[in-house]
Amino acid sequence: MKLHLISDFNLETLGHYLENDGSSPKLSVVAAPFGQVFPALLQPSQSSPSDFALVWTSPEKMVPAFAAALDNTAFGEDGVVAEVQQFADRLRAAQKHFRAIFVVSWTLSPHYRGNGILSLKAGGLRQVLLKMNLTLAQELDDCRGIYLLDGQRWMEEVGKSSYSPKLWYLTKTPFHGNVFRQAAGDLRAAISAVLGTSKKLVVVDLDNTLWDGVVGDLGWESLRLGGHDYLGEAFVDFQKALKSLRNRGILLAIASKNEESVALEALNKHPEMVLRPDDFSAWRINWNDKAANIAELATELNLGLESIVFLDDNPVERARVREALPEVYVPEWPDDKTLFASNLRALNCFDSAYVTAEDTSRHQMYATHKQREQLRQRVSSAEDWILSLETEIVVEELSNANCARVVQLLNKTNQMNLTTRRLAEAELRAWVRQKNRTLWAFRVKDKFGDSGLTGILSLEIESDGALITDFVLSCRVMGRNVEHSMLAFAAQHCTALRLRELRADYVPTAKNKPCFSFWMSSGFAYDEKENRFTWPLTRPYPSPDGITIRQPEAMEGDAVRSSEPVLLDAQTASLKAITN
Amino acid sequence: MSMEGIKSFEPAVKEAPASGSSRLEAVLKVIYESVSELNLQLPEGQRIEKSPAAVLFGAGGKLDSLALANFIVITEQKLDEYFGCRVDLTQDDPFSPTTGHFGTIRSLANYILKLPGIQDSPSRTD
Repeated sequence: MKLHLISDFNLETLGHYLENDGSSPKLSVVAAPFGQVFPALLQPSQSSPSDFALVWTSPEKMVPAFAAALDNTAFGEDGVVAEVQQFADRLRAAQKHFRAIFVVSWTLSPHYRGNGILSLKAGGLRQVLLKMNLTLAQELDDCRGIYLLDGQRWMEEVGKSSYSPKLWYLTKTPFHGNVFRQAAGDLRAAISAVLGTSKKLVVVDLDNTLWDGVVGDLGWESLRLGGHDYLGEAFVDFQKALKSLRNRGILLAIASKNEESVALEALNKHPEMVLRPDDFSAWRINWNDKAANIAELATELNLGLESIVFLDDNPVERARVREALPEVYVPEWPDDKTLFASNLRALNCFDSAYVTAEDTSRHQMYATHKQREQLRQRVSSAEDWILSLETEIVVEELSNANCARVVQLLNKTNQMNLTTRRLAEAELRAWVRQKNRTLWAFRVKDKFGDSGLTGILSLEIESDGALITDFVLSCRVMGRNVEHSMLAFAAQHCTALRLRELRADYVPTAKNKPCFSFWMSSGFAYDEKENRFTWPLTRPYPSPDGITIRQPEAMEGDAVRSSEPVLLDAQTASLKAITN
Repeated sequence: MSMEGIKSFEPAVKEAPASGSSRLEAVLKVIYESVSELNLQLPEGQRIEKSPAAVLFGAGGKLDSLALANFIVITEQKLDEYFGCRVDLTQDDPFSPTTGHFGTIRSLANYILKLPGIQDSPSRTD
């Protein structure tokens, strides 16, 4: 994976940190000659659209009016804003060259006092800088492939030594190495966010992690949690920080060595408990090995171990989980309990490139999943269970409204993913706009709740048939015949276009065996040599019973599609015919 | 850079008076911490060993001028934290072939021990 460093100062040190931090994915850093910001942005050498770029510039070099402000010569604030807008225009123009561009917000050395008490007044140095950053942020708000990184936070982390005049004069590097370490950490988190590899689940211990004390010994009434007590307040704050993650779509689970009834009583009854049992998507409260419990939680929640963060006050338990499950991220945890909340808030493994409706309601979706599973255990057969769910699928074309979620799903899904094709939003839009290509997004709901946009099927029409390019389904709705419904929908579409065959080429990865298993049971013929599945369209593909498919009415104006009118009109007509 | 300059600093360490040996240990500790910090930005094969004989800059040295500049800034900051005094490790041009105090960790320690401020200031590690 390649990262282009584009700057008007020497960024080599940042490149060295990124190349030598031992993190995954391995980054190959290409440093553009410093000072060549716009040529490197607009005509990058050795670049491909899958590359990332970091743009880190000095405010006085990018915005000449700000340089005038630094020199206390006449400048107009309108001129400052106009120059920032020009900079944003160039970033937008460069977007097509990169998968994502990260732009560092402008900062100013603390050595600049400006005009002291007037610095934050109109025309003051700090107010102008705030305005520049705000303008830049607003200009880039609607660019999903460009992200502003908060450089000021790195300076604050490092403190007064963040700017180094000595390094500047020796090497044209303005910042201390520690600033670049901070930047490297945030940049890694940003890349993970874009790649969809950020963490999705926090598994927490209970005693001395969620509250102070051992509930089995003390009883829930005597735990230190809340009250007029510094430690009690610290634990309440830590629980609030966890709840805030939950509200962002990060799932919570418990792995604790305790009697389940005793621990749940504490969670239910303690008056100052912030997190209640409903806030956790699953738990394993027993005396078993925690690593085994975490592996079970991953299976229950259909998540990979690499999606999990484990928090425990006990270093022995942390070491055990690290040793047994190296994919699970187990951060070192402070002995000082007043630092739990701030440590959690500082973790940079939860970043997300988009916040979608599916993210914020993820916890609720897992709760309804649990209800579904309970029903599954009550009914006599899997078929009866699926019928009883009353599933409804809504099929949408790619649109401005659903594009962020489609890109997120495409880039995050590992298990039910035919080809594991990863694309940035601009790449996906460009792909869909090509002749003879179609993409549908599938929203799934049932009587227990709405699972949101959870499926993608895209295909490319070839001479006598169609090739399924993407077949992606969230693990949340796997095994409920949604897979078959998607294929039935695609087959009907292709039949309406008088095509003869529907094909799918399986690209194996370390994680998409469930997808292969589904296709092997799909009824499609399998050619082992080509890893290709085919269905002759002379036969209708069977639609599963009990599942309704429909298309929303207000889709037309917003859809992203090819400019080739003839075939697409036929496609739209077929879509309507199928869903009506 | 000639190795002559580097060698010129070595005897002083060996001849350091007993009262200065704990100060030498403190200075070496600061240098080793700086090396640890610097190593985070170096590829595995270029990382500096934490031993007095480790070659830093010049003939046989693993540091280029950017890494040396970073090392200087890190070490100055750590000396300030440990000894409470600002020192300037660039006052005798560290990149010049005629000066040798950045030749090895030992020569650097010896150079630092002679700097005004380090000799007199109380070390926080004492």
